[in-house]
Amino acid sequence: MLRTETITLNLGPQHPSTHGVFRLRLQLNGETVVGIEPVMGYLHRGIEKLCEQGTYVQVIPLTDRLDYVCSMTNNQAYAVAVEKLLGLEVPERAEYIRVIMAELTRIINHMMAVGFLWNELGAYFTPAMYCFRAREHILDLFEMTCGSRMMCNYMRPGGVSGDLPEGFLPAAKKFNDYFKGVIDQLETFLNENEVFLARAVDVGVLPADVAINASITGPMLRASGVAYDIRKVDHYSVYDRFDFDVPTCSNGDVYDRYLQHIKEMWQSVRIIEQALDGIPEGEVMNDQAAKALRRPPQGEAYGRIESPKGELSFYVVSDGSANPYRVRIRPPSQINLSALKEMCEGHKIQDIVIILGSINLTMADLDR
Amino acid sequence: MDVLNLLFVNLREAITTWLAGFLPMWAAEAVVHFGVGLILVVIGLLAVMVLTLGERKVIGRAQDRYGPNRWGPWGILTPVADAIKMLTKEDIVPEGADYWVHLLAPMCAIIAAVLIYAVLPFGEGMWGTDLNIGILYIVAIASLGTIAILMAGWSSNNKYSLLGAFRVVAQLISYEIPMLLSIVAVVLLTGSMSMVEIVRQQSVPHLITMPMVFFVYLLAASAELYRTPFDMIEADSELVAGFFTEYSGMKFVMFFMSEYFNLFAMSAIITTLFLAGWRGPILPGYVWFFFKCGVVIFFYWWVRSMMPRIRIDHLLNLAWKFLVPLALVNLMVVGLVDKLIADGIVQDVVLLAANIVVAIVVIGLLAFASRKTRSKRLQRITARR
Amino acid sequence: MFGLGIVKGLWTTGKHFVQSYLGHTGLREGIRPDPTLGGLFTVQYPEEKLPMFPRFRGALMHLRDAETGEPKCTACGLCVRACPNDVIAVDGEGKGRDRKVTAYHYNLARCLFCRLCVEACTFSAIEMSHEYELASYSPDLVWGLEKLLAIGDKYGVHEAGKAWE
Repeated sequence: MLRTETITLNLGPQHPSTHGVFRLRLQLNGETVVGIEPVMGYLHRGIEKLCEQGTYVQVIPLTDRLDYVCSMTNNQAYAVAVEKLLGLEVPERAEYIRVIMAELTRIINHMMAVGFLWNELGAYFTPAMYCFRAREHILDLFEMTCGSRMMCNYMRPGGVSGDLPEGFLPAAKKFNDYFKGVIDQLETFLNENEVFLARAVDVGVLPADVAINASITGPMLRASGVAYDIRKVDHYSVYDRFDFDVPTCSNGDVYDRYLQHIKEMWQSVRIIEQALDGIPEGEVMNDQAAKALRRPPQGEAYGRIESPKGELSFYVVSDGSANPYRVRIRPPSQINLSALKEMCEGHKIQDIVIILGSINLTMADLDR
Repeated sequence: MDVLNLLFVNLREAITTWLAGFLPMWAAEAVVHFGVGLILVVIGLLAVMVLTLGERKVIGRAQDRYGPNRWGPWGILTPVADAIKMLTKEDIVPEGADYWVHLLAPMCAIIAAVLIYAVLPFGEGMWGTDLNIGILYIVAIASLGTIAILMAGWSSNNKYSLLGAFRVVAQLISYEIPMLLSIVAVVLLTGSMSMVEIVRQQSVPHLITMPMVFFVYLLAASAELYRTPFDMIEADSELVAGFFTEYSGMKFVMFFMSEYFNLFAMSAIITTLFLAGWRGPILPGYVWFFFKCGVVIFFYWWVRSMMPRIRIDHLLNLAWKFLVPLALVNLMVVGLVDKLIADGIVQDVVLLAANIVVAIVVIGLLAFASRKTRSKRLQRITARR
Repeated sequence: MFGLGIVKGLWTTGKHFVQSYLGHTGLREGIRPDPTLGGLFTVQYPEEKLPMFPRFRGALMHLRDAETGEPKCTACGLCVRACPNDVIAVDGEGKGRDRKVTAYHYNLARCLFCRLCVEACTFSAIEMSHEYELASYSPDLVWGLEKLLAIGDKYGVHEAGKAWE
């Protein structure tokens, strides 16, 4: 009796591409993929449990290490959750600083997403190098402010840990003006490349209803056509004072996800410009915060923000002591990955790699 | 200037005469031929050294960084460091592999690459041998390289190597046909298959008289060399490394070197067929030849620095549905013009015009066939902010 | 459209290639390169080293009093409690005003460089230095008080948090 069998192939934990340790078991019929099973957990470090051992402020360096590309927004999400728990007000200057840092973080994350998507397509690191060159200037801004490029540890419940240094505002303005030229150059270089169009259009299509059912958020959701942005829905921080759009794309394939990242970077540039122009003077930390953190009220709070990868939220439960009782982190990368099967079915192996690249995963966020 | 031009030819004559002083003539000739063969292999090896380093430096410069620059001034000794590293690697043969085929595959690959150097004309009178079927010999030897890859994939006892080898062989075979048809167009115009004769007949380089043929040949040669955008086999972000997964140490070096030997050989062939070989004013012939080879190789590096990879089905579609018909049309056009119009400047101009007409027709047909998808895509791209 | 996208890509890459020869190379003036300068971006470490910003968080260092030259640390243990990762161990002698530190163990292998210890210290006795070349072959990564004081002397810092005002 003649029949064909499917091969099981391991896209093993050691990936040549750049997302970290992630294992994908593929069922292949020839070159076509008929089944996918992701195996996660290779980078699990028990951050949620470690959060229970320290005080509220000692959790912040741990949140840096969740999604190490966007450490400022991780800090912000945790700070928003704890501020809800304690009922703290954040001074206005601190809110403006938070917005500037969050949008700069959005830019670095999207630059990395675009760069590494093109790495997987086969362009020999060149778009990645152009993106990383722009990132270097933002990381210098971060270093100027908080002392560290990646593990920023900058935002605290109640404000930020220190005021901006003197050279920051002119340097940020200079960078913003320069960055518009960078995105322009990147778009000219990458948007209309025929090979990219042939490989990325109609590959990995995620329909809008599947995306909503799978709780996907962030650029992936907006690329499928759903205009849902937590900055506009929740009005957290001072985002309602700025004028920016929520861009969407219609088709939800790899090309649209790439284009969505570029469009969001343009909006981030707009927000940074307005924030730099309108930043008020004042203090940057709520004085009651230190006392309140030592004896928080019993209760729970859920704080969410629009992180560059999607909805990042912290569910903090307090039992009245100086240490949190439970911190649950909703990882955007893990939830975004849940629609992988629908996106990948029927495609070839080469397409799976770029679909994974377009989702913009960071394994540290997925496994915590 | 003639002295410099014929420098190496005179040197060869002088050495032959000196050897004939104490050896019989046939022995002197044999020794000189052997020496020339050795020099050709050394030229190839030097080319490999320069190309591996040059590629990394040029692509690095395009990425706003230096290439390798630690070993020696400007990183000149980096190929030496690479060679030392590769020589010290352990040679692993997988269990269950077919030992003799596993051993012979890299040798076949490199033999196929080196044999091409015998007929390349490096300058006036500077070639290994002037076969009067020169270009046919080259095409035949290039096919030998294909068999080497199949041997490598088969003997590794690894089904992913085998699948990778199948893909590569499909790619190589598919692209040999447009390559061959373009070569036939050139041979038709020249009237001879000898490489030297082809250069001698190019008072106007064929790049200018037949740009479409050049374009088809350039694409087909890219695919034959498995360079970007056709470099699926070297794809390090895809899951298997292809047919040379199971090779390590010196055998891997042989495959690696055969790729760069082929690169230099193919650029030399393009120079000979389309860029008028060693012909050029003032400077000696061999300087012009290496300069033109360098231009072609620089173009390959430039494309490599920014092109994404093409998927296997798009690749085969491109070969069979686009390049083969285009090459056939080119061949017909060149044949017609050659027959109807006498040799001379008029023929060159008419050929150029005919090629431009072919190009316009092709672009028109493609535009017509893709108008619906194009408008949708343009909408998406232009609605960017 | 028909290769125009590819030509644009080649043009961009070619521009960068030419600019890398004509533009600035290597280390530029000022603390960090000006974004608007084209050209090469590489800094040839270890021959050229970028200066760190004043707030840069490197390894820990102990500070001395500017007049007396004694270490300012009083072994109060605030930094031990503030650290998220059990990096510091401290021992002191004396009571009240006269308490002085006798042993200070700083485990470099566990340090997150988060600066929570410096924020907790009320005596301005420790600060993050600009030491980032911390790799070593030997496993003696627990630094003692002498080494930390030596780093403080090397950078000539006497007050913590000056860059953060």
